[in-house]
Amino acid sequence: MKKVLNIAPVSRIEGHAKIAIHLDDDGNVENTFLHIQSLRGFEKFIEGRPAEEVPRIVNRICGICPWMHHLASNKAVDGAFGVTPTPTGHKLREMCQVMAHINDKILHFFFLAAPDFVLGPDADYSVRNIMGMVKAAPELAKQVVKMRQLGQMMLDKFAGKAIHPVAGVVGGFAKPMAEEERKELLQGTQTLLDFGCYALDFAINNVFAKYMDIIGDLGAIKTGFLGMVDREDGSLRLYDGKLRLMKSDGSFVDFEGNEYIDYIGEHVEPWAYSKMVYAKSWNEGFDMALTEPKGIYRVNTLARINVCDKISTPKAQAALETFRNSFGRPAQQTLLYHYARLIELIYSCERTIELLEWEGITGQNVRAKVEPKAGRGVGVVEAPRGTLIHDYTTDENGCISGANLIVGTTHNIAPMNMSVKQAASTFIKDGVYSEGVLNQVEMAVRAYDP
Amino acid sequence: MGVTTALEWLGSCSGCEIAILNIGEDLVSLITETLNIVHAPILMDHKYFGQCGEGVTLEIPEAVVGIVTGGVNNREHLEVLQEMRKKCKVLLALGTCATHGGIPALMNGQDQLESWEGIFSTVSTDPGAEIPNVEVPPPLDRVYACDEKVKIDMQLPGCPPNPELIGEVIVALAEGRVPVLPGKSVCDTCPTKREGKGMVDKVKRFINNVEFKPGTPIDEMRCLLEQGYMCMGPVTVAGCAKRGGPSCISARVPCRGCFGPVRRDGNQLLDMMNGLVSNGLDFKSVVDRRSVLRFSGAHGRLRPVKKRVARGKVK
Amino acid sequence: MSFEPKIIAFCCNWCSYAAADLAGIHRMQYPHNVRIIRLMCSGMVHPEFVMDALSQGADGVMVLGCHLGECHYRDGNYRAMDRSDMVAELLEDFGYEQERFSLTWVSSQEPDKFVKAVTEMTASIKELGPVNGEQAEVV
Repeated sequence: MKKVLNIAPVSRIEGHAKIAIHLDDDGNVENTFLHIQSLRGFEKFIEGRPAEEVPRIVNRICGICPWMHHLASNKAVDGAFGVTPTPTGHKLREMCQVMAHINDKILHFFFLAAPDFVLGPDADYSVRNIMGMVKAAPELAKQVVKMRQLGQMMLDKFAGKAIHPVAGVVGGFAKPMAEEERKELLQGTQTLLDFGCYALDFAINNVFAKYMDIIGDLGAIKTGFLGMVDREDGSLRLYDGKLRLMKSDGSFVDFEGNEYIDYIGEHVEPWAYSKMVYAKSWNEGFDMALTEPKGIYRVNTLARINVCDKISTPKAQAALETFRNSFGRPAQQTLLYHYARLIELIYSCERTIELLEWEGITGQNVRAKVEPKAGRGVGVVEAPRGTLIHDYTTDENGCISGANLIVGTTHNIAPMNMSVKQAASTFIKDGVYSEGVLNQVEMAVRAYDP
Repeated sequence: MGVTTALEWLGSCSGCEIAILNIGEDLVSLITETLNIVHAPILMDHKYFGQCGEGVTLEIPEAVVGIVTGGVNNREHLEVLQEMRKKCKVLLALGTCATHGGIPALMNGQDQLESWEGIFSTVSTDPGAEIPNVEVPPPLDRVYACDEKVKIDMQLPGCPPNPELIGEVIVALAEGRVPVLPGKSVCDTCPTKREGKGMVDKVKRFINNVEFKPGTPIDEMRCLLEQGYMCMGPVTVAGCAKRGGPSCISARVPCRGCFGPVRRDGNQLLDMMNGLVSNGLDFKSVVDRRSVLRFSGAHGRLRPVKKRVARGKVK
Repeated sequence: MSFEPKIIAFCCNWCSYAAADLAGIHRMQYPHNVRIIRLMCSGMVHPEFVMDALSQGADGVMVLGCHLGECHYRDGNYRAMDRSDMVAELLEDFGYEQERFSLTWVSSQEPDKFVKAVTEMTASIKELGPVNGEQAEVV
């Protein structure tokens, strides 16, 4: 008998989604859909708003990565008004952004994903969560809560608000950093770096080693990758750089953020509000077939780790080398997103320290002169969930007349659909399935941290 | 065992959930001892349609306390909200989206169909795309706050809400007492210096940083309205102040009203404009006046601009 | 059935309210659509009074105060005047036509002016139709 399994809501992710698994008469997977349920219309309702206000509006797109939207938006408005932020303003923004990455990685790996590994994918749903982890591994859980809080409060104290920030402004930053603030942040980030290194060790020994067989298999698909790299040396960058679009064979092209329209397009399926971004420049169209996907590439941690030539900070570079020795470049296994996430955690800590140690960081000139005017600007940053593009056009009053947003997660919608299909067809055979099996299908989604 | 609690998010950004996590060290005891969480999509895997997805009706377990974040934008949100109301003894609307519509209610100022068509025909979207309509919940006619759709027992606004106040509300609910929440305006908690408005007769856009001496505490900075910046402190309910001052002001940035109006049914736009006019400031100097309602556009406050009907043609 | 609008008139105790009284004493005829609310001063009319009246079904709102320079409290009517431009403009923001609001100066000795203001407002609102027209039509 035909049957539809509705896994709703997809849980321990950062958005709203539903997985529908359609089974045929024999109980085998006929098709799967990852339905994206929500549409709020930011692109439209920022029209008419004064552009300098928009970074304070679009941060509400996501409460987990508000800094990313806040800063991509600021960069886009800079572009539209033709302003170059002062060097100190630029670096203060970057510091906040990479610091926000730190919290995000801790949150995602430990609060959302780790319960599957620490308690096991088949553990009962009532304990397979952070509350269960508090009982099963109290010391670790306490440490995790403390570290996330530390990172979040450092940012909150310096920038006034950690969630839905306001301190990034067109032309730079709203306030300079005092020497005491710098010292305090530096000390806190050192602690976070130690924790980051511990977290990677913990994961390598207790998670990846133990679940090696699932890692190779669960949600595995073959795609291209997109991520940001340094304009000069091709090393990993999160705040500013060029974009690199890599094919699954490892060949790539580099382009600037404002050329995005020539390289990527958005496909729409009638069953998801989220658009599906694909590589238009490959001229092969859009197809989510598992055997031979067309135009499909992935973003987010694994993609960034794959496209970069190296990482500019030592500890993260060492981790990257170990990673590449084991999995090659580009690595395709979906669960390696978690591994890559922890490498980026280390990079984010190291990069924050690097920025805090830059002599100009406490400079007083934090905001360039701004004049609202007509123009167009494209702001690109790497959000935890992938390449984030804000593209604004302004009118002569400096109000938004048109906006196009490509949000990190949307690049990964098609690959997530493929991973769900791959996982479901692997695990569900002849009508046999269980809660644990369905959770593994969800784990394929969770890896992408949507 | 703690008080059974269900958490749900509707049209939200999950910032409120992160604010809950920001409660800090007390969080661990709060989510494991004070509360017994039975349903919470962001933290645990309880499913609507049974754990294997075979059910046909959406079900949430019974709980004493229900916490809802986000506004009501589509049919699914409405269904979930109604189910929460049915299953929870006390329902808390958390965050400005749930209490006043929040940023997503800016959509209420636009023509919905026209906007959605626009979204699916941007420069980067494949031509010919249509608005998705298969298995995705259809939108409601506008964005609603939770109390427009079901009875809400308690409201805690904020974008995001202050973790301290979330802790206070949760503990109060668990202990069965009335929580202590701020009822005055942001200005009331703002320590900046007030010296009188002086020569200011207009408000300016925030394109230059405000005047202050770097490194000094905010009580040595002059009130931002007195500096001539549009600051919505007077018409916004207090609650954001953490380390001795309102959040945005302590980042040297003017307030934009994210906690919603001072009185629950207050009108931020009207009150702000009235405040400006009563003090002799030119209300026309506010660029894009309607976005003063950016956090409280539900309850029918924000509507598409009416196309004017020629006089004499009206029935 | 013809449309009979409901109009709320906020009248100042010292002038227009007395003018309305006088109009009654003189048995002057004016439309029954107006509901008078007495206030101590036109300067007391907070814009929320206007918005609340419209949102609860009034089809128009009038504020009637003393001539400029004649305020019992020195400058209450100047306040009212400063606000009235703003109120009229903001009505559009909230989806109402500007014409649903008016501000008129009427002294206590001008019942004819009171009658004229009320009559004109009633005619103008009749022409505009009910507040929230489309919804009203469905009902």
